[in-house]
Amino acid sequence: MQQAIVECKNLTHYYGKRCIYENLNFEIPQGRILGLLGKNGTGKTTTINILNGYLKPRSGECLMFGESSANLSSETKRKVGLLIEGHVQYSFMNISEIEKFYSAFYPKWRKDAYYELMKLLKIDPKQKISRMSCGQRSQVALGLILAQDPELLILDDFSMGLDPGYRMLFVDYLSEYAKAENKTVFVTSHIIQDMERLIDDCLIMDYGRIVMQKPVTELLESFKRFKFNCTNPEAINEISDIYNPVTIKGNTEVYSLLTKEDLESLMRKNNVMTNEIQEESLSLEEAFIGLTGKY
Amino acid sequence: MTSALLFKEWKKTKWFAIGAFAVGLALLTYIFLKLGRSFRMVGLEHLWDVIVNRDQFLFRDVKYFPLATGFCLALAQFVPEMIQKRIKLSLHLPLSNRKIVFSMLGFGLLALLSIFVLHLIVILTFSVFYFPMEIIESMVYTLLPWYVAGLTAYAFTSWICLEPTWKRRIFNALLMFASLQLCFLSDFPAAYSLVVSAVLLIPLYVLPFGYFSVQRFKVGIQD
Repeated sequence: MQQAIVECKNLTHYYGKRCIYENLNFEIPQGRILGLLGKNGTGKTTTINILNGYLKPRSGECLMFGESSANLSSETKRKVGLLIEGHVQYSFMNISEIEKFYSAFYPKWRKDAYYELMKLLKIDPKQKISRMSCGQRSQVALGLILAQDPELLILDDFSMGLDPGYRMLFVDYLSEYAKAENKTVFVTSHIIQDMERLIDDCLIMDYGRIVMQKPVTELLESFKRFKFNCTNPEAINEISDIYNPVTIKGNTEVYSLLTKEDLESLMRKNNVMTNEIQEESLSLEEAFIGLTGKY
Repeated sequence: MTSALLFKEWKKTKWFAIGAFAVGLALLTYIFLKLGRSFRMVGLEHLWDVIVNRDQFLFRDVKYFPLATGFCLALAQFVPEMIQKRIKLSLHLPLSNRKIVFSMLGFGLLALLSIFVLHLIVILTFSVFYFPMEIIESMVYTLLPWYVAGLTAYAFTSWICLEPTWKRRIFNALLMFASLQLCFLSDFPAAYSLVVSAVLLIPLYVLPFGYFSVQRFKVGIQD
C-alpha cells in the first residue's frame, strides 16, 4: 500500500440542520487519481472546501501530507495545486503577468509547461484573463497548475462551463501529466464521461451518504444492469443488494453488484416472477445513474 | 514573494490610484485658482481678515476627498477578491495567511498614504509662499482629521468587504459611520490640535480586524 497523501477521517458536516454527510472516510494514496462523483448539492464542493481548509467540518478531520487541512504550512500549500470551481483566477492580469506572479512562489516553477499550453490558445499574451472565454480561462488555470508542478492536484468541477473540445483537451493534458509524473489527483465533476477517461478510483456520493468507493475498473467489472419482465415488481423493493429498480409497462431494470446467477437465485428466494434475465455492462455514467438514481 | 503580492495589488488598483491622485490634483488646482481669483478680486487684506478674524478655512473643498479615496480604494482592492471567492487563491499561496492579509492591507495603506502625503505636500508648498507658520500649523491640524478619515474609511471598508456574513457587514458599516463622525466633529480651524494623535490611532486600531474576518471566512462562516 502506497503512502496516503490525503486522509479524511470521520468527516461530518451540516449546513444548519441539513446533513451533508456523516462519518465520511477516504484516503488518496500517492499516484492515484480519485474522482468524487455526485449530483448537485451532495457535498462535492463542501468536501473540497474542507480539504483546503476553507470550511471547518462539524466533526472529523482531513490530513494532507500528514498535516491538518485546517492549518496548512506554507511548505504543504506549495505541494498542492488548486483549481477552484469555475476556473477562477486573477482576471485583472494577462497571460504573462499571471505567470510571472505565480512563479515567485514556486521554486520548481516550469514556465515551459505553461507556455506550451498557452500556445494552443493562439491569443495575445497581453490579453487580460477577464476578456477570455471560459474554455480559454480553464487552460490558463490548468497551465498554471502544471507549471507549479505540485505533488497533489485538487480540481473542483473542472468541466464546468467547458465545451466538449476544451473538456477533452483538459482531460488529455491532465491525464498524461498525472500518469507520467506520478501525481496524486483529487477531482470532482458532474460530467461523468470525462471522469471515466481520467480517474483510477471513484467515490460516489448521494445525499447524506457515500454509495460506492472503488477503483473504476473494479466497479465496471462488477456493477451490472439487469433487465427482465416481471409480474410482481413490488416484491423487488424488499430485496437488498439491488439498486434503483424501475419497472415501466412490465419491463424491469435493476442494478446490482451480484452476478447474474446470484441475482436469479435471490429473485427465486423472494418469489419475484421473472422471465430470463439479461445482463448488461455499464459505462461509468450508467453505473453512476444506477447507484444514485435518475432523479 | 511579498513583492509579487504587492504587484498583484498594484495591478488591481493601479488605475484607481492614478485616477484618485489626478482627481486630487485637479481639486487642488481648482482651489488654487479660486484663491488666486480671491487674491485679485478682494485683496490679500480681506483674505487675512477672513482667515484670522472670522476663522474661515480656505481648503474646505478638500474635506471629503480623502474619505471618498479611502472608501473607493478598499472597494477596488477587495471587491475583486470576494467576487467568486477569489480570496481562496490568495490564501492558497505558500505564505502564512497573516502575511498574505497584512501585505494586502499594508499595500492599500501605503498607496493611500502616498496619495495623501503628495497632496499635503502640494498644499503646504503653496501655502508657505503666502501664509505665516502659525496659519500653516493650524491648517495641518484642520486637514489631518480629514485625511485620517480617508485611512479610517479604507480600514473599515476593507473589513466590511473581507467579512463573510451580511449581518456583521451591516454592523461593521454602522461602526464605520460612527467612527468617521469622530473625524468630522468640527470644521473650526485647528479644532483637533489637542486630540489629533488620538484620531490618528483610529485606522491603526481598525486595520487588523480584516484579518479576523478572513479567519472567519476560512472556517466557512457564511450567511
